[in-house]
Amino acid sequence: MLRYVARRVLESIPLLLGIAVLSFIFMQLAPGGPDALFARNGRMSAEQLAAIRRSMGLDRPPHEQLLAWITNIFQGDLGVSYSQFRPVSHVIAEVFPNTVILMAAGLLISLVSALVFGILAARRPYGIFDNVTSFLSYFGLAMPVFWFGLMLQLLFAVRLGWLPSAGMYSPDGGSTQDLLRHLTLPALTIAIGSIAGWSRYVRSSTLEQLSQDYVRSARSKGLTERRVMTGHVLRNSLIPLVTVVGIDVPLYLTGAVLTETVFSWPGMGRLFYDALTVRDYPVLMGILVLGAALIIIGNLIADLVYGLLDPRITYE
Amino acid sequence: MVDLIPRPDRYQDEAPDLDSVNGLIQARIDGVISRRQLIRRAAALAIAAPVVGVMLHVTSDMANGAPSQGRTNVLRRLAQNGATVPADAPTAPDGEPKQGGSVTVGTIDEPDTLNPYLTQLVGGSDLTTGIMDTLMRYDSTQTLIPALAESFEISDDGLTYNFTLREGVTFHNGDAFGPQDVIDTWKMIMNEEFAAFTTVGWDKITDITSPDDRTVVMETSEVFAPFLAYVATENGSVISPASELAIGPEKFKTEFGRQRLIGTGPMKFVEWTPKQQVVLEKFADYWGEPAKLDQVIIRFIPDDSTQLVQLRTGEIQMAVGAGSLSALRVDEALGIDGVTVLEHPSPGWSHLDLKHVFFLRHPLVRQALDFATPSQDIIDKLLKGRAIRSIADQQPGTWAFNPNIEGRPFDIEQAKALLAEAGLTQNADGNWEGKVPTEDPLVLDGEVRTFEMELWGISGDAQQQQMIQVIEQAWNQAGIKTTANFQDISTLWGPEGYQWVPDTMTACLYSWYNGNDPDDLAYWHSSQIPDSPTGSGYNAIAYFHEFNFQEEIDKLTEQAAAETDQESRKEIYWQIQELLHEQVPVIFIYWGKSFPVVRDNIGGFWPSAFNRMLWNVQDWYLV
Repeated sequence: MLRYVARRVLESIPLLLGIAVLSFIFMQLAPGGPDALFARNGRMSAEQLAAIRRSMGLDRPPHEQLLAWITNIFQGDLGVSYSQFRPVSHVIAEVFPNTVILMAAGLLISLVSALVFGILAARRPYGIFDNVTSFLSYFGLAMPVFWFGLMLQLLFAVRLGWLPSAGMYSPDGGSTQDLLRHLTLPALTIAIGSIAGWSRYVRSSTLEQLSQDYVRSARSKGLTERRVMTGHVLRNSLIPLVTVVGIDVPLYLTGAVLTETVFSWPGMGRLFYDALTVRDYPVLMGILVLGAALIIIGNLIADLVYGLLDPRITYE
Repeated sequence: MVDLIPRPDRYQDEAPDLDSVNGLIQARIDGVISRRQLIRRAAALAIAAPVVGVMLHVTSDMANGAPSQGRTNVLRRLAQNGATVPADAPTAPDGEPKQGGSVTVGTIDEPDTLNPYLTQLVGGSDLTTGIMDTLMRYDSTQTLIPALAESFEISDDGLTYNFTLREGVTFHNGDAFGPQDVIDTWKMIMNEEFAAFTTVGWDKITDITSPDDRTVVMETSEVFAPFLAYVATENGSVISPASELAIGPEKFKTEFGRQRLIGTGPMKFVEWTPKQQVVLEKFADYWGEPAKLDQVIIRFIPDDSTQLVQLRTGEIQMAVGAGSLSALRVDEALGIDGVTVLEHPSPGWSHLDLKHVFFLRHPLVRQALDFATPSQDIIDKLLKGRAIRSIADQQPGTWAFNPNIEGRPFDIEQAKALLAEAGLTQNADGNWEGKVPTEDPLVLDGEVRTFEMELWGISGDAQQQQMIQVIEQAWNQAGIKTTANFQDISTLWGPEGYQWVPDTMTACLYSWYNGNDPDDLAYWHSSQIPDSPTGSGYNAIAYFHEFNFQEEIDKLTEQAAAETDQESRKEIYWQIQELLHEQVPVIFIYWGKSFPVVRDNIGGFWPSAFNRMLWNVQDWYLV
């Protein structure tokens, strides 16, 4: 097992390297550059522009910049942000925990809800509960995230006044309770899309399990339906879900831009978008590389959990 | 020494001193002589014309109590729309002003940095104006008032500026304010390693000395009328403490404005939680009247719908400064209980820039485009009347504005007539075509082309998109084949943008923002044409060919900027505006308005086009 893990980790290094190089190339190819924003300021003299380009390292040829960047990554130095004049690792470190919190909450809600809805729907296929949850799933998948977020805001923050409308903490807050109150709506918003998708997955894999012979055996042994479900079927239905979750979850880390914008959540998605609008290449590349690393790790964890759940699978 | 506080009773029974440059300035500030008298007397004293220009620039028409009819009327006109309230006085709610309290402001864009010499965003200077001070500043009637300098003196040759600094001023870190802070600020701004965003004004200084610890003397290399405006009042000219400047340009760039920000202002910087908020606290040892509020918090809310939601729930109490509403969202805000929507003119003029190539080099063709652009319709229908028609580059209500110019009406037939007069013809499809000019822009003697326009806009801006579509339709109706395109700002104005493509005729919709001085040399002068797609300079439209009227505009802008007399300076700016209206280098469309929103229990808030969000934060209070 350990050898397997070590092998996977070693395999991922060239992959990460390739991603780092590719992201560097894409950024260089994209039209417009950071100093274009400065150049638009007519009050800047040519010498000042040159000084700024020098300080950003833009006057060196691309292959030198690439080499410098790759060597720095392995030392944990992701470069210096063009717009904030400080290390990219600091910039990312400030917002990364916030995204993790949001993601964890969203994941918890999604998993639990998807399992509950999926299994309950599978118990009585094509019954009322199944039809209603099917409809809601399609609705949840079709609705844009920001619309959903705004609707939740209007209902719970404006109409009912139960929850704050945006932000991660109150201006003077900081307690855990404050955080949880602020976390509720954005986590729900993120969760909706996942619940919709995952519950369909759980439903179909549960249905498949329920038609298996071992279920018939368990029932004829005299086990209660509940025991059959929780003791046997559940575990087997989880297996395909693990793969899906393993891929989806790392995407939360960089892809929750819409939710983070609507709820002013200070996370990685917003950081990525903000850096994009000002062409802050070091931050963008840092996030891309970090995102790639997290997806690779996520896949590895998914595979390991998969191995845990299914004794038929062994790794060497 | 000129004291900036007008006091006509200063003279008692004596006559004012009309025999020196500074005596005349003081007398004008005190309102005891008129502009005409000042000029007459200065001429009698044989004071050089450039110096008279400087004197009159300091005592601008708006300054020191001289009312301007233009401004008040403009503001009244602006107030005709719905229930928005013109911001011509500080907010004054009923009730007893309370001491203390906290106000939360909601703004859209987070500053890139709070370092006042580096920030490129208005959001940055919105905040720095409450934390740091300049030598002087403008209030919301564009009147110059003292800040860190109590008074100043200009030498007879107009080259030396002498400031008397305020006493007893402390920085937030306890340092005493003194001349060394001014000198070191100048050195940092001019330091190439530091690469400040702008050095205009400061780059005219040859030396700063300090004969005693209340005086700062600046020697300049040439007479520059806007010198005081740039060096003493611009947001990028605040004074930093020498102890901070001493840490060197590298550290000053990364630490000052992010980890800490030390100034002499009424609020001190407490903390900046990235992507969330900036917290400011009252500074008890402020040199003026200490702030009434204890705390101001600025929250960053990237989505403007969420901003309105937060105003509704009361989680924020103000949406002001760079976070003010755009014209499209005013109606929604008017529906919120307990808030007031203010309005004031914005110094931003929205226009279509025209690349001066092929037919666009001919003035009649540009005039035709102006006739074919439904500017008034755009203002009335798309912006719901919440904008003012623009005819040139000086803001209505300011002293240099020429009120005698009428904008061209929307008239397709007239546009067609002008195109024909210029020498183009319509082909069978109704599209205009003709020979392009070669040497002389007014002589069409080159190869034949169809008149095709690329219309560009900034992507992601719903308001812009609608405008562009309306213009595209109108131009096509006039027989000019027009296609609309959108791109994000960085690409649009970057080296790969439309401006540097030689064989397309293009127009692009965006806004320039004026400063407090009418100096517009940067927009039109031939020296401001960038030398390459990555070069600097505002005048990119003349990149391929200088204007057909370049010589004239060069002369006029140079005259106006360098050697002017406020009355004569105004006359030159009037001429420039007439020239711009006649020649249409760009198509002027509208002057925007800003719509700050505040909760009804906040008093003392007074926004304007002449200063930034926190300029008078010490006067804000809750009832």
